[in-house]
Amino acid sequence: MEFNENQTQTIQVAEPVVSAIKPELINGSHALIQSLIKEGVETIFGYPGGAIMPVYDAIYDYQEEINHILVRHEQGAAHAAEGFARMTGRVGVCLVTSGPGATNLVTGIADAIIDSTPMVCVVGQVAAHLLGTDAFQETDVIGITIPITKWNYQITRADEVPEIIAKAFYIAKSGRPGPVLIDITKNAQQELMSKSFSYKKCENLISYRPRLSPKQEQVEAAAKLINEAKRPFLFFGHGVQIANAENELLKFLEKTDIPAASTLLGLSSISCDHPNYVGWLGMHGNYGTNVLTNQCDVIIAVGMRFDDRVTGDLSRYAKQARVVHIEIDPSEIDKIVKAEAPVVGDARIALEMLLPLIKENNHEAWKAEFKKYDKIEDEKITQPELAPTTEKIKMAEVIRTLSNKTKGEAVIVADVGQHQMMTARYYQFKKPNSFITSGGLGTMGYALPAAFGAKVGAPDREVVAMIGDGCFQMTIQELGTIAQSGLPVKIIILNNNFLGMVRQWQQLFHQKRYSFVELQNPDFITIGKGFGIDGHTCGAREDLNASLDKMLASDKPYLLEVLVEKEENVFPMVPTGACVADIRLE
Amino acid sequence: MTTYTICVFTENTIGILNKITTILTRRRINIESLTVSETERKGISRFTIVIRHESREAVEKLVRQIRKVIEVLAVFGYLNDDIAYNEIALFKVSTPIGAKPIDIETINKVYKAWVVYWHLTYVIIQKTGTEEEIFQFFDYIKPHEILEFVRSGRVAVSKSPQTLVDYLPEAEWEYYQ
Repeated sequence: MEFNENQTQTIQVAEPVVSAIKPELINGSHALIQSLIKEGVETIFGYPGGAIMPVYDAIYDYQEEINHILVRHEQGAAHAAEGFARMTGRVGVCLVTSGPGATNLVTGIADAIIDSTPMVCVVGQVAAHLLGTDAFQETDVIGITIPITKWNYQITRADEVPEIIAKAFYIAKSGRPGPVLIDITKNAQQELMSKSFSYKKCENLISYRPRLSPKQEQVEAAAKLINEAKRPFLFFGHGVQIANAENELLKFLEKTDIPAASTLLGLSSISCDHPNYVGWLGMHGNYGTNVLTNQCDVIIAVGMRFDDRVTGDLSRYAKQARVVHIEIDPSEIDKIVKAEAPVVGDARIALEMLLPLIKENNHEAWKAEFKKYDKIEDEKITQPELAPTTEKIKMAEVIRTLSNKTKGEAVIVADVGQHQMMTARYYQFKKPNSFITSGGLGTMGYALPAAFGAKVGAPDREVVAMIGDGCFQMTIQELGTIAQSGLPVKIIILNNNFLGMVRQWQQLFHQKRYSFVELQNPDFITIGKGFGIDGHTCGAREDLNASLDKMLASDKPYLLEVLVEKEENVFPMVPTGACVADIRLE
Repeated sequence: MTTYTICVFTENTIGILNKITTILTRRRINIESLTVSETERKGISRFTIVIRHESREAVEKLVRQIRKVIEVLAVFGYLNDDIAYNEIALFKVSTPIGAKPIDIETINKVYKAWVVYWHLTYVIIQKTGTEEEIFQFFDYIKPHEILEFVRSGRVAVSKSPQTLVDYLPEAEWEYYQ
C-alpha cells in the first residue's frame, strides 16, 4: 500500500551497514528471506508497502534464489498462493504490508482455511513501540485472523525469525493443511539478530501432533464394516489429493469394486473414465450419486467433511448407512455425520493399511444401478446441454469441447457460480490434480489469480481459468500480473451478463424477481488488450472450435470471451433444505 | 441446560484467550465464568471455562474445536459430578454505627465465611464455596446492606486419580496423546 515517509522518521533504523559491525550478524529481514530459502521457497506472491520495506530491501539481494511476483492487489497474492499450493502441494507464500495490505489478504486466508490449503502469509506491522497507538497502517491483524488461520504469530524481535518461520511452515503443511499468518513488526525486520543465523526445520511440536498413521484397531473395525457391506459407496474428497492417495484409492477400488463418487474438491483424483467412478456428489452433482446415497448400506468417506452442499437436509441424509470416515482432522469425526468406524489419519496411509484387510469383491449389480440413473440424467440433462438447439452457445458445450481438445488433461481453475458447477459437470478429468476451485468459501474472483498461481507452480501443464463475467470483474486487475509474467495462462470468460447462480435461485425460489443480478459489462477483450493480453470474443456456435483452438495454440496468456445463453440453469439440483434423494432434474 | 466445566491446558503465550473465546463466540456459547492461571508446570496455563448447554454433543464438538488451537495441549470437558470445584466471593457489607451488628459466629461457623478486613463503617467478608453456597450466604447477609459483591470464576480439579482424564467423550482423546 501507499508508503508514508513520516512513518519511518519515527522508527529507530538499524545500522545500515551490517558487515561493518559483526560480519556474521544479519537483520530480521535477511533472516526472514534466508529462512524462506531454507524452507525451499522459490516463489513469493507479494505487494510492498511501508511496514514491509526492510524485507523488500532484503529480497533485492536474493533475486537469484527467490522469484518474487508482484500482484496487483493483495487478495490476488493470497489466491495466487492458494493456486500454487493446490497445484504443487507445497506451501504458498504471500508477502504484504501492514494495515490494508494485511486486511486485503483476509478473503484469501479464509478461503485457504476452509479448503485446507497450506499457505504462509508474512505481513508487515508497525514497529513494536507503536503497537496499540493507532499508528499509520496499524491494524490488529492477529486479532482479525485468529478465526481464519490455522496459526498466527506476531514477531517483534529479529531473533525469533528462524524459529517462528520454521514453525509456520510445519504447521501450514502438516496434518490438515491450512494458512498461517506471521505478523512481523518493522523493528524486527530492521534490527540485527543477536546471534548468527542458523536454521532448523520444525518437525514436531508438543501441543500439536497430527496423527498420520491411524490406529490398527480403527482400521480393522473399518475393514470389517467394508467387508460386510452389500451396497458400499465410497466418497472421496480433497483429502485424497492432499495426501497423494490417488494410487492407493485406485488399488482400493480395484480390489473391492466399490463404486466411488467425488466431492467438488475431490474431482480429478481418479479419472472419470474409471469403471468404478460414478460421478460427483452434492447440490449440482449427479443424479445417481445423490439418490443412491440414500440407498447404500455403508459409506466409506475418504478425506471429505460432509459439507452441507453435499448432504442437503441432514435429517434425511443417508440414515440407512453405516459410516466409515477416514479423516486426518479428529474434529471432523461426528461433526456432521456420525461415523460408526472412524479412522483418524492420513488418507494414503489409512488406505494402505486397509488394503490387505479388505476382501476382493464384485459389485456389478450395485454399480449397474448407478448406470440406470446416469441414463436418465443423460437423456434429460446432459445430451440437451451438450447438443443444444438454442441460438446462443451453452456453457456445457464450451466446457466439453475444451475437455475434448485438452484430452481431459488440462488444469482447470474454476471461479464460483454456474460456470463452476458446469465445469465440474462437463470437464472430463483424466489426470489427478487437475481441478482447482474455491469450494468451501465460494470466493468469487478466485480463479484468475489462482490460475496464475497454478501456472507458476506447474508451468509445463496447460492451465485454463474458467470464469464468469461477474467473477472476472472482482480480480480483473490480476491480468496485469499475468501479462507482466508472460506466463501463458488461458482465460475463458463465460459471459451471460448475469450473476447466473443468484439469478437461477431468484428464478426458482423467488418468483423470478431478478434483484440486482444483471450486469452491464465492459468490453473484456479491449480491457485484456489494454493489459497487453490478446483475446477475442466468440458469439456463434460454429466459431467455438476455432476459438478454443486459437486460445490453446497461443504461447502467451490469452483471453477468450464466450457469449453464452443468458438464462440457463444448472441441473440436477438439490435445493437448499431438500433431501439428496429429492434431487431435481428440472 | 447442563453445566459443563471445560479445562483447557495451553502454552502460556499472548493471545490464547482470544483464540479460545472466538471458538465459543462463533457457536454462540456464552461463558458463565472463566479462570486462567499458570499450572504446576511452568509455561503451561490452565483455563477453566464454565458454560451451560442443552446438547452434550455440541459440547463435545466444542471441545474438539478448542483442541485444534495449535497452542492447546489438552482439553477436558467435565460434568459437575466429575470435579471438585469452588469459587471465591468477597462481600463488602455496611456496618454503620448504631445498626444491627453482624453475627460473626454464624458467619464463621454456619457459613464458613471470614471477615478479611474491618473498617469503621463496613467489613469485607470472604466466602469460598460453590455457587449455591455463595448465594445462600448472599441471601443471609443481604439484610445488612451489601455495598459491593464480587464472585470469581470457578476453579476445578478432576476427581479422577489420573492427572489428565477425559470425560467428554471417552474415545477421542486417545488421538491426541
